[in-house]
Amino acid sequence: MNGCPMLRLAATILLALAFAPAEAKDSGLIYVSNEKSNNILVIDPKTYKVVNDIATSRRPRDMHFNADHSKLYIACGDDDVIDVLDVATSKIVDKLVTGSSPETFAMDETRRRIYVSDEESSTLAIINMDQNIIEKEVPTGAEPEGVMVSEDGKTVYVTSEVGDLVHSIDADRGYVTQDVVVGTRPRRFAATPDGKELWVSTEMAGEVYIIDRQKFVVTGKIDFLPPGMRQTDVTPVGLVMTKDGKTAYVTLGHAAHVAVVDVPTRTVQGYILVGKRSWGVTLSRDEKTLYVANGLGDDITVIDTASRRAVVSIPVGRVPWGIVVDE
Amino acid sequence: MGASKRWAHVLGPLLCLAWPLTAAAQDVPAPTQPAVPQQHVKIAFVQVDGDPRYAPIRASDRIILKAPEHPFAGAQVGVDEAAPLVRLLNTDFTLDRIMVKSPADVAPTVLQAADAGTHFFLIDAQADAYRPLAAAVHGRDLLLFNVSEPDDTLRRDLCAAEFVHVHPSRAQLMDGLLQYVVSRKWTNLLELQGPSPDDAAMTAAFEHSAQKFGAHIVAQRKFKPGTDPRDRELNDPALLSAINRDFDVAFVADSDFDFARTVPYHLVRPRPVMGSIDLEPVAWHWTWDHNGAPQVNSRFEKRSGGRRMEGADWAAWVAVKMIVQSVLHTRSADFSTQRGFILGGGSFDADKGLAVSVRAWDHQVRQAVLLAAPYEVVASAPIEGFLHQTNELDTLGDDQPESACHLDR
Repeated sequence: MNGCPMLRLAATILLALAFAPAEAKDSGLIYVSNEKSNNILVIDPKTYKVVNDIATSRRPRDMHFNADHSKLYIACGDDDVIDVLDVATSKIVDKLVTGSSPETFAMDETRRRIYVSDEESSTLAIINMDQNIIEKEVPTGAEPEGVMVSEDGKTVYVTSEVGDLVHSIDADRGYVTQDVVVGTRPRRFAATPDGKELWVSTEMAGEVYIIDRQKFVVTGKIDFLPPGMRQTDVTPVGLVMTKDGKTAYVTLGHAAHVAVVDVPTRTVQGYILVGKRSWGVTLSRDEKTLYVANGLGDDITVIDTASRRAVVSIPVGRVPWGIVVDE
Repeated sequence: MGASKRWAHVLGPLLCLAWPLTAAAQDVPAPTQPAVPQQHVKIAFVQVDGDPRYAPIRASDRIILKAPEHPFAGAQVGVDEAAPLVRLLNTDFTLDRIMVKSPADVAPTVLQAADAGTHFFLIDAQADAYRPLAAAVHGRDLLLFNVSEPDDTLRRDLCAAEFVHVHPSRAQLMDGLLQYVVSRKWTNLLELQGPSPDDAAMTAAFEHSAQKFGAHIVAQRKFKPGTDPRDRELNDPALLSAINRDFDVAFVADSDFDFARTVPYHLVRPRPVMGSIDLEPVAWHWTWDHNGAPQVNSRFEKRSGGRRMEGADWAAWVAVKMIVQSVLHTRSADFSTQRGFILGGGSFDADKGLAVSVRAWDHQVRQAVLLAAPYEVVASAPIEGFLHQTNELDTLGDDQPESACHLDR
């Protein structure tokens, strides 16, 4: 019985099962949604090994934990639902019905609401999390994508990919109050921690637009061009900002790089090589590690932010979309 | 936006039909203030009754192989997408569908609609409608979008400033096809040409592209569709392809499709087929799933009652999109400002990756060409490695130095 692989595997699974619930809180585990293999892979941040494979509804994309990380909400585009995963047991325990083809969403647990962009019906659905009903569907420009709730919960920002617009929506009354025209194919948001600026990636324009949230006008934009890449490959989608509001990371899609941006001066400080069609991006809580999903590489890249170098790339499922970390 | 449907103007006795299919931008709830569009942008879609390109292609009386339809639904999707902009722009976009009796009636109909205040036209007509049309609209404040005709002579010889050719030219399509086969090192090609003028034009474009990208045509054969045993050397793909030289791919130009569909698996050698069947260079394909394509395919299928989006539909959609974007980005009600945006620096997201824009020299829209097998887009041209000093899309079709048309000078 010189190292019977089956036995070892069984032991590993048992160990994993034994420790998973205990580690559920602040486990540091990395959750990756895979659009085409309809699953979430759970990766151990220390060993970079896949420790769990959870089947979801079809086409899982955006994911968010609730505040205490007991539940993970997963938008599943082809089944028009948001799956609710019980983190401790790794079981899907509920499904919230959305409009047609949910892609990204934002949660407001104070108001018990989920705001989800329904790409095909061109609406923002406002879902009551407890009653599992759509309270309201707010018409938006065609192909709404990025969703962000303001800190006070009163305003929801939504991009319209086809309309080249960012909408400001009154969360309580449920209609668009203001629009601002940005570059071609606006995708996702990041907000500066001081609450003053909204950063929006515009995929086809190859830029990040900066919107003054008070006046709701464009006040600047940032261009990208990693060395050796062509301007037409620069298709920024994902972006995150550090908690001190000093640094932003922008995934550049087909240009296969992440841009590091100095936020106050709005200048690009450098580029980090990642995989093909990099979109989803997440920072670890200590902001020492950046995770990037490479949609056309079927892997994720783990980056050390201090040295700005890719540490490892981990094979995942087919077409990884988003990454969240349980911590 | 009160009445979202209104009757198309009846544009005179030339029209045999004027549909009530005006697809105005839909009502949008705007609780802050009622949306009262102050500007109306009128778009007319002109098609020709009995256009042979839209006749069903049959295998026999009862078997319909293809049932092509006019690309009006593509334009409707473009107008649908503009609905949320009505409030923002104080502008509504209306789309009138006009059918004329013959290609010769296109020009007078356009002039009548122009006199009634329409500046933008989507032209869905064969090449022979264009020469009188170009003469009629010369110097007028109009922009006419060619959404369905690939004929190269419209871009080269006719060379009219009032046109924007959204549909790719044959030169662009064939350049895309040849880039692909050359990138695969399939450079020995057998050419099978049909009897129609369209087949001749397609073959000429194919030969030009082969020369441009360094492929070698090992044999040129003209086929004669039919089953006459006395013509079997001309109607049997096995005999037509029984040549001493080997070839990598057979190219077939057959607009009637009747012969083309008999070519795969009937060649004397086991070789793939491209051109009118199997690997086709197209402006759009329903299986394209990058760059937001699934969403527009889905909107189109809903709008058209389940039809799959094709090249001309894509072109009609993009034409309306260009008009809408010209208003959005210039915020101007002035036609010449809008035209300036479209013909000038404007670049447009057309769901094919690289942004499309209008070439200054011949008003052809530079765009990617999809190389489509029946159930898969095999590749999108420009193929990696075909480089250009300014824009890789200009490796497809007539680039500025070799163009016969110089609207930019």
